[in-house]
Amino acid sequence: MNLQLFIPELTLAIFAIAVILLDLFVQRKGVLAGVSVAGLVISAGFTLTMWGSEPQTIFNNMLAVDSFALFFKLLFTGIAILVILASVDYASKLTNLQGEYYALVLLSVLGMMLMAAATELISIYVALGLTSLSLCALVGFLKDSKSSEAALKYFLLSAMVSAVLLFGMALVFGVTGETQLSKIAQVIQAMPLTNITDNPALVLGVVLLIVGFGFKIAAVPFHMWVPDVYEGAPTPITAYLSVGSKAAGFAVILRIFSSAFGLPEWLSLNWGMLFAVLAAISMTLGNVVALPQTNIKRMLGYSSIAQAGYLMVGLATVGILPTADVLGQSAILFFLASYTVTNLGAFIAIIAISNKTNSDLIQDFSGMIRRAPGLALALTLCLVSLIGMPPAAGFMAKFYIFSAGVHSGLLWLVIIAVLNSVISAYYYLRVVKVMWFGEPTSTEKVFSSGALRFSLFITSIGVLLLGILPGLVMKLTEAASKMLAFLP
Amino acid sequence: MSVGLEHYLILSAALFSIGFYGALAKKNAIIILMCIELMINAVNIAMAAFSRYSVPVLLTGQVFIIFIIVVAAAEVAVGLAIIMNIYRSRETTETDKIDLMKW
Amino acid sequence: MIASELIWLIFLLPVFSFIIVSLFIRPSVKPTSKIAGYITITAISASLVLSLWTLLTVMAEPKHELAVPDFSWLTVGDLTIRIGLMIDSLTAVMLVVVTVVSLMVQIYSQGYMHGDPGYHRYYAWMSLFTASMLGVIMANSLLLIFFFWELVGLCSYLLIGFWFHRPAAANAAKKAFVVTRLGDFGFLAAILLLYTNTGTFNIPELHEMAITGVLAGTTLTWAAIGIFAGAIGKSAQFPLHVWLPDAMEGPTPVSALIHAATMVAAGVFLVARTFPLFVNSATAVTIVAVIGAFTAIFAATMGLVMNDMKRVVAYSTISQLGYMMLGLGAAGLALRQEGHVTLELAKAAAAIGIFHLFNHAFFKALLFLGAGSVNHATNTFDMRQMGGLRKVMPWTYATFVIGALSLAGIWPLSGFWSKDEILAVTWDTQRVLFTLVMITVLMTAFYIFRVVFLTFSGQYRGSDPGSHGQEHDHTTHLHESSPVMVAPMVILAILAIISGFWNITGSFDAFMGHGETRSFASGLFGIFTHPLPWIALLVAGLGIFLAYAIYGAKWLSAERIGHIFRPLYIIFSRKYWFDELYENVIVKLILLKWVFAALEKIDTKVVDGAVNGLANTVRTIYRIALLNGIFDILQRVDGTKIEKANGVIKEPNKNWWQVDGIVNVMANGVTASGEALKKTQTGQLQLYGLVIGLGVVAIILVLYFAG
Repeated sequence: MNLQLFIPELTLAIFAIAVILLDLFVQRKGVLAGVSVAGLVISAGFTLTMWGSEPQTIFNNMLAVDSFALFFKLLFTGIAILVILASVDYASKLTNLQGEYYALVLLSVLGMMLMAAATELISIYVALGLTSLSLCALVGFLKDSKSSEAALKYFLLSAMVSAVLLFGMALVFGVTGETQLSKIAQVIQAMPLTNITDNPALVLGVVLLIVGFGFKIAAVPFHMWVPDVYEGAPTPITAYLSVGSKAAGFAVILRIFSSAFGLPEWLSLNWGMLFAVLAAISMTLGNVVALPQTNIKRMLGYSSIAQAGYLMVGLATVGILPTADVLGQSAILFFLASYTVTNLGAFIAIIAISNKTNSDLIQDFSGMIRRAPGLALALTLCLVSLIGMPPAAGFMAKFYIFSAGVHSGLLWLVIIAVLNSVISAYYYLRVVKVMWFGEPTSTEKVFSSGALRFSLFITSIGVLLLGILPGLVMKLTEAASKMLAFLP
Repeated sequence: MSVGLEHYLILSAALFSIGFYGALAKKNAIIILMCIELMINAVNIAMAAFSRYSVPVLLTGQVFIIFIIVVAAAEVAVGLAIIMNIYRSRETTETDKIDLMKW
Repeated sequence: MIASELIWLIFLLPVFSFIIVSLFIRPSVKPTSKIAGYITITAISASLVLSLWTLLTVMAEPKHELAVPDFSWLTVGDLTIRIGLMIDSLTAVMLVVVTVVSLMVQIYSQGYMHGDPGYHRYYAWMSLFTASMLGVIMANSLLLIFFFWELVGLCSYLLIGFWFHRPAAANAAKKAFVVTRLGDFGFLAAILLLYTNTGTFNIPELHEMAITGVLAGTTLTWAAIGIFAGAIGKSAQFPLHVWLPDAMEGPTPVSALIHAATMVAAGVFLVARTFPLFVNSATAVTIVAVIGAFTAIFAATMGLVMNDMKRVVAYSTISQLGYMMLGLGAAGLALRQEGHVTLELAKAAAAIGIFHLFNHAFFKALLFLGAGSVNHATNTFDMRQMGGLRKVMPWTYATFVIGALSLAGIWPLSGFWSKDEILAVTWDTQRVLFTLVMITVLMTAFYIFRVVFLTFSGQYRGSDPGSHGQEHDHTTHLHESSPVMVAPMVILAILAIISGFWNITGSFDAFMGHGETRSFASGLFGIFTHPLPWIALLVAGLGIFLAYAIYGAKWLSAERIGHIFRPLYIIFSRKYWFDELYENVIVKLILLKWVFAALEKIDTKVVDGAVNGLANTVRTIYRIALLNGIFDILQRVDGTKIEKANGVIKEPNKNWWQVDGIVNVMANGVTASGEALKKTQTGQLQLYGLVIGLGVVAIILVLYFAG
């Protein structure tokens, strides 16, 4: 075994511990953020050096080191860097707990990286546990009543769901006798078709897995936690949850479903259709309920449910045409990348604004274009991207994923999705309208810290770059998706 | 009557359902947490039984269980901390009273 | 011979000026500085020079086409999207139209927008608009056209709502955006339909397939109709015409550029661009011709009675766009009658409509700039407040009359030549439509000269234009506009006179692909060997005479005539109640009263029954704990229903994001369901868990029964 391949994760673990220790000695807590970012950058650097090499596995085939995992590792470290930059102002309120805050962020990134790399049920479960526990702690970090309520809800529901997920894993293990995804695939493919169709245990297992990860990606009907937790959690963590946790969920789903349950066709067609239906329900419910929201974090919570719906169009594509090409997989990865920069950008702008106004209500964003032109412009760009209008990233992402949908014959789903995009335009544009055309509630300018402005700048560039020159990232996502066929 | 795989599975399913019911029906957060532990342990039983009956030579299932126990222990630690936290701010652990955020 | 890199610059120069103005000038330079205007004008002048060069190059080419190498933009699976330019005679003509009018408008705006606090913002958006309009013209794939199409729509939205602090402007912007989106939906559907059937977005390839019959039948018809739907929205054709008059809330130069000369003509351009698709479907060309002719007369009737100078010109724009559509449709019909359809002939058939577009762009922009100039002096658009401006504003008067004569179709001004061609081809194909547009000729001459006489002759009727200004707060007395505003009007006036001469020799038709040339003199006078031009001139003259009789010489009393035709007057001036129809009848009555009521009924009977039944079952199972939760939801859902029944839909925050008309009610409908669904999120942890559990059960049941 080659421990070198594990260096990105090791780096993060070491830096997480180092940050906690450093917290004891350093007076200027800003250093901690710097150290965490350094750790993430180093980890990302190590990850980059592995890009393009042959896919390998480590720890007895428990973790894969392939372009798919590396893509997500880069995505997660990128997310975490931006989240930490966005937290600097925020965390300064928590004078004596900053070390834990940054360490927990690093640990959750570690968990997500493992989730993307895991190729085996046990490692998937452990990685999932690491991720959700550190996220739970982060959600409840503020100790005010909203934050702790959010943490309790998130914790109890995710514990409940992870028990359900475990039951699913037990069933799959029981039917196949294997925990390796590739070996599960071999066993299932070797079974006569009737054994599968008449075997409710396997189907039930698959359904329970969908439930478990559906919770992570906020698919309806496993979405109920999302708005409450998003509203209550510290805003940088909300941003983190909305992109990181979702991306990790999709990474695992893609890995499990395209390698373990990709064949036979009967099975993949069934879960493909299941995802298609969940996609339709998720986007409709998310968009419709987002309309009357008055709190922007809550609104973005529902919006993220809807976005999960669009993403699941890609999953449905994968299920319905598992062997054709990697269009669906690649579209999901691209959508995730673009959703990441877009949503992070939106949240960072919201953090910057509500740091000053101390309110998340949409009406308090009124006239923001005059109080903070840069922030309002960036937020507008991100919202435009969330609608899916050119030239922002969201347009390309939707175009890509919808064309994958059309390609696999899911025209009805794509029509629903397009209609949903129209509905969603109302509530996103509502915020834009309030910001541009509303009367400012005060004339005081809103200033933001350098870290925030820097991270906002990065995300805005990302949104435009992915929208205008999507080819660069599409090459990466296609290379990453091809790796899903690789079975250790 | 010899005890076979299905008996274990029925036990496991029953325990899981009881746990799930409890998690939904009980209002005290700590009891809910205990019910979730029950669900996890039901899974452990199923896992061990599967391991014993379908791949008797390997210990995959048992290893899995050890990992589950470890994660579950960590889960309880975090969970109790969160519940303590909310008890300090609200003086209650009744979940139906914890609905500051809705709609 | 122009290099292909330079052709890209035509489009890129305005993009650069947009970037420079919006990113560098606007944040750092005071709005009183004119630098943003200079940058924009420089960029567009350069584009104009390059466009002219392109035109000459294309004219020199034997097939009137330039091959510009394209490049691959992105690869999605096996689909590669290439970006490229399509430079043919149509593009070359349109390039010149857009850059000329845009340049004139930008120069004029230096005077008109001077001192406006949003001066830089104005120029930034104008640059962006010009760039995207050029993009629409030059793109070689439908997807790319759609991209720029949406972008011009966005710019139009931003510029109509330029003075967003005025509610009328903000509402008009929204209305324009939403109504054109309705058409765009059809366009997008057509693009997807074409793509699924042919696997390409490339326009030349689609042309090829349509002509060779690979693409035919209902697919082709529906695709053409979808594209036409997009054109209806952008070109404000019936029944999506309602947004254009309201769009006059924007600054007048914007109306001249976007809502007269270029963007609204994009619909006509789109039909011309995809004309080989239309020609192969009898249904599609007939629809184009009928909608065009109907819009022409329909809009003209409303133009008869408006008192707002700018709105008259706006309705005349709709009407003239109808002419262009009719020109396209009728030419298509004529081509089908001849029976032999080739790619060249199909493309050449678009020449008639495009020629009118070409001429119209100049004289209509001129009329708008004239209206803006009048407004600049009088601070109003209400013609009842004007009169006698001929003496104070001689330049504006002279140029405006030239524009009006051209619009009325008086020989030898440009409008005459293109309108005559449309009338001729309609006479050959469709006599009913011919009658309609002949009546329209009368109306056109009448209403535009009504404007001329009301505004420029007689005595000044307004009060001293004080500080109650509509667009500006100048405290000025009546005066001629500054040279920077007059100069563009003069240039446009010259163009309005001579632009029609291009086709006197038949060379425009030849350039577009098909047609014999003749000598200038025989073209100029030889036209009168046919009876049709005589009739058209006579009718137009009659219209002008009527206008003079009523508003100039006052032989007839306008009040008396208005009284006699009172029912018609009411219908026209209320715009056939179309706004009310859309807002009240379709949206409020049909959607709200019937559709939503029906949904609600289904909701109460079926869903509630099911939910109640479920609730009872669940109650027996989970006796203690869940009772509360479920009943809580039921109560809350019922609660929203009561609210709905009482006062349509109760909206707590209505006042700060209210949207008007269609949008309002559509949004309300969806919002109401959102409100109801929102209440299911009770904040109760157990309920969330229960929903997850029920979700699992539902999935399993569905799989069990369906799989």
